[in-house]
Amino acid sequence: MNLWDWAERLRARAEEAGLSFPPVVFEEVDAEEMAMLAAYGGFPRRYPHWRWGSEYLRYRELYRYGLGRIYELVVNTEPVYAYLLKGNTPLAQKLVMAHVYAHADFFRNNLAFRPIPKDMLNEMAHHAAYVERAMERHGARAVEEFLDLALSLENLIDPHAPYIRRLEKEAPPPQGRLRVRPYLEPYVNPPPEPPREAEEGASPRPLPPRPTRDLLGFLARHAPLAPWQRALLEIVREESLYYAPQAATKVMNEGWATFWHTRLLLPLLDPEEALEFAELQAGLLAPQGFNPYRLGYLLFQEIEERWDKGRFGEEYDRLPLGERLRYERPRGEGRAKLFQVRTVYTDLGFLEEFLTPEFALRRGLIAPKDLDRFQEAKRHLLFRLTNAGYPIVWLLDANYKNRGELLLEHAYEGVGLDLRRTQAVLANLHRLWGRPVHLRTVLKGKPALLTYDGEHRLGTP
Amino acid sequence: MRPIERDLERFKAIVRGEVKKRAREFLTREELLGQLEGRLVSIPLPQLELPKIVYGEPLEEGLGLGPGGEGLGPGGHVPVAELELEEFLDLMGEALRLPRLRPKGEGEVTQEALRHTTIARKGPRGLRHVRRTLKESLKRALLTGEYREEDPRLVPEREDLRYKAPKAKPQPHAQAVVVFALDVSGSMREEELRLVKTLAYWITAWIRRHFPRLERRYLLHDAEAWEVPEEEFFRAREGGGTRLSSALLLAEEVLKAYPEAFYNRYLYHFSDGENWPGDTEKALEALGRLLPSLALYGYAQVQPPGREGSFLYELQTLREGSEALATAELSGPESLPRALRRLLGGEG
Repeated sequence: MNLWDWAERLRARAEEAGLSFPPVVFEEVDAEEMAMLAAYGGFPRRYPHWRWGSEYLRYRELYRYGLGRIYELVVNTEPVYAYLLKGNTPLAQKLVMAHVYAHADFFRNNLAFRPIPKDMLNEMAHHAAYVERAMERHGARAVEEFLDLALSLENLIDPHAPYIRRLEKEAPPPQGRLRVRPYLEPYVNPPPEPPREAEEGASPRPLPPRPTRDLLGFLARHAPLAPWQRALLEIVREESLYYAPQAATKVMNEGWATFWHTRLLLPLLDPEEALEFAELQAGLLAPQGFNPYRLGYLLFQEIEERWDKGRFGEEYDRLPLGERLRYERPRGEGRAKLFQVRTVYTDLGFLEEFLTPEFALRRGLIAPKDLDRFQEAKRHLLFRLTNAGYPIVWLLDANYKNRGELLLEHAYEGVGLDLRRTQAVLANLHRLWGRPVHLRTVLKGKPALLTYDGEHRLGTP
Repeated sequence: MRPIERDLERFKAIVRGEVKKRAREFLTREELLGQLEGRLVSIPLPQLELPKIVYGEPLEEGLGLGPGGEGLGPGGHVPVAELELEEFLDLMGEALRLPRLRPKGEGEVTQEALRHTTIARKGPRGLRHVRRTLKESLKRALLTGEYREEDPRLVPEREDLRYKAPKAKPQPHAQAVVVFALDVSGSMREEELRLVKTLAYWITAWIRRHFPRLERRYLLHDAEAWEVPEEEFFRAREGGGTRLSSALLLAEEVLKAYPEAFYNRYLYHFSDGENWPGDTEKALEALGRLLPSLALYGYAQVQPPGREGSFLYELQTLREGSEALATAELSGPESLPRALRRLLGGEG
């Protein structure tokens, strides 16, 4: 049976098991193409920028020196594109294909991916074409330098922005207005007089109307920029938003894929493949550092087992730890629970809910004597996964002190910022905004105000 | 060119630009000085980072508040790019205007280089020559009458397999020898020694860039001269008086093993220039004999503050006679680029 027959067979098994996914297009690529795709974030085309080149070089060298090999790459589009590394053993390819079907299922069904456009392949190509054209018109250097600025702000987005549907209240039609065809509007209903000088600047509406995390979006709308520069900010923002749910579901997504490739493939193995499978699996699930594959895989196993054995509900929750470990009321709801969890959680809620002391004990992740450290370790892990590991920064005011200066605030959670890099970002922001920028944060435990107005200043808020 | 190659080229161009811009700084970077054999050079590139607002405890007061803001927090790591040593040296050479070295006279020998230019019947799979194999297969099929026009597929058999095979090819190759002599009499301090070490590293690297087969010898001297292994050469010590001639005479001995006809011979001498009375004449005489056979004699005079050796001045009298004579003064790290350029035969 060749690879494509196997793809077909695994697809059928995955669907039988209840996974649902769009068509998956597999393609075999060599190591250099894989390095290119990885550098481009999974896409065959991205806008020109040196950082892809630097990433490409890194992946290529890693592979060349045998330090890292990318077995597979899956892209969240419809159809799903999945790239397999040429030269993988037949078993590795089968494993990867089963893994990919589960990723495809996750992309389609997990709610975090719902507002994400599925035709990103085209979007990325449009972006590339736009940037290339901008380079022709405005000079490659100018565009590259602007991209450098924009990319240093790429984590200053609101990852929830695509989900927010605010009902902007429609203003009631002003008194005395006549309903006319739009092109007659200025003649029949002339606009009100412009504000007098005295009223100018004393804008009653704060900008932004409410604090926002969407700094990139705000700048694209309000910074004094040329149209092509606005468009570039939008491009960087859109691509950031596209990748945000992937960062927010890393543990779940990899865990889900690992759980299912194991389920789908194990019964199909030849005896002689068993050893190789065990080796691949051991490599993937190695307990080294923070391994999302391992953690997610174990958690999904745990969830299935708990809901099969009835280890949930009020009665269970009231039990002390020791008794929870032994509790058993067979309910057989494991499968249903798995699919529900896959649909509604992202990593933070997933770990908050299911990473319990009894899980850690049962799977041997922690020794009983270390139990008192469990909550602290968990809190630490959750902190690391919050906002993809980036500090959360709010834009409070774009007219700070009534001088058109930007005021940002870092939502301090007990860990300070890297001062040097933060200052470099403020300087970049200053170039975009054209006016002084301020950031409230906490340095060495004390409230601090970082300012850049052509020079770095350090004050107290 | 594929788009990713274009991005890679742009990245490399930025790295190259960075090296050239910061050549003077790289000149004295300690961690580079050992890297003569390595293939890749790590280039720290704070400028090439796309900075982001990230966590970064712990921090020090006032860090990075100065102009430029290049100071790094304890947790902050500098992004690094890697360059091939050869390319790195070329960029440094360009930025510091180092002269290209040319093989002198007959200093060329032949060397056997292996190239896969012939065809063999046996070999490793990876070297299988597909076109030749199919050709053999076709030949056999035609001869045995197995070939059919309606189904021209060829199935090579064992006897058809052909492999690329290595063949020795004579290749012209220049080789060189460099002798370093260091005056260890009293006055060399730690700081001067570091300058000498830096200079010796770059001289070696640059000569090697042009003559990959480079032999290196190291001599120390005070009133007498003796040879030491490389790793002992730069250890600071103090000795008695100075006889510059002792080093030159020993160098003459050492160089006998490297006939002028086959080797480009480089001799470098580091001293504070304070010689014993009466020895300078002997030294100049030895040098007079040596010079015509050398690609370069480089003399670097290290000037401790407040003192001035005289040998540099004495050497001027020989200057007229030879293009192979190069001199430089070393007084602090700022003098390094110029000294390096001059000692390699370039214009100051």
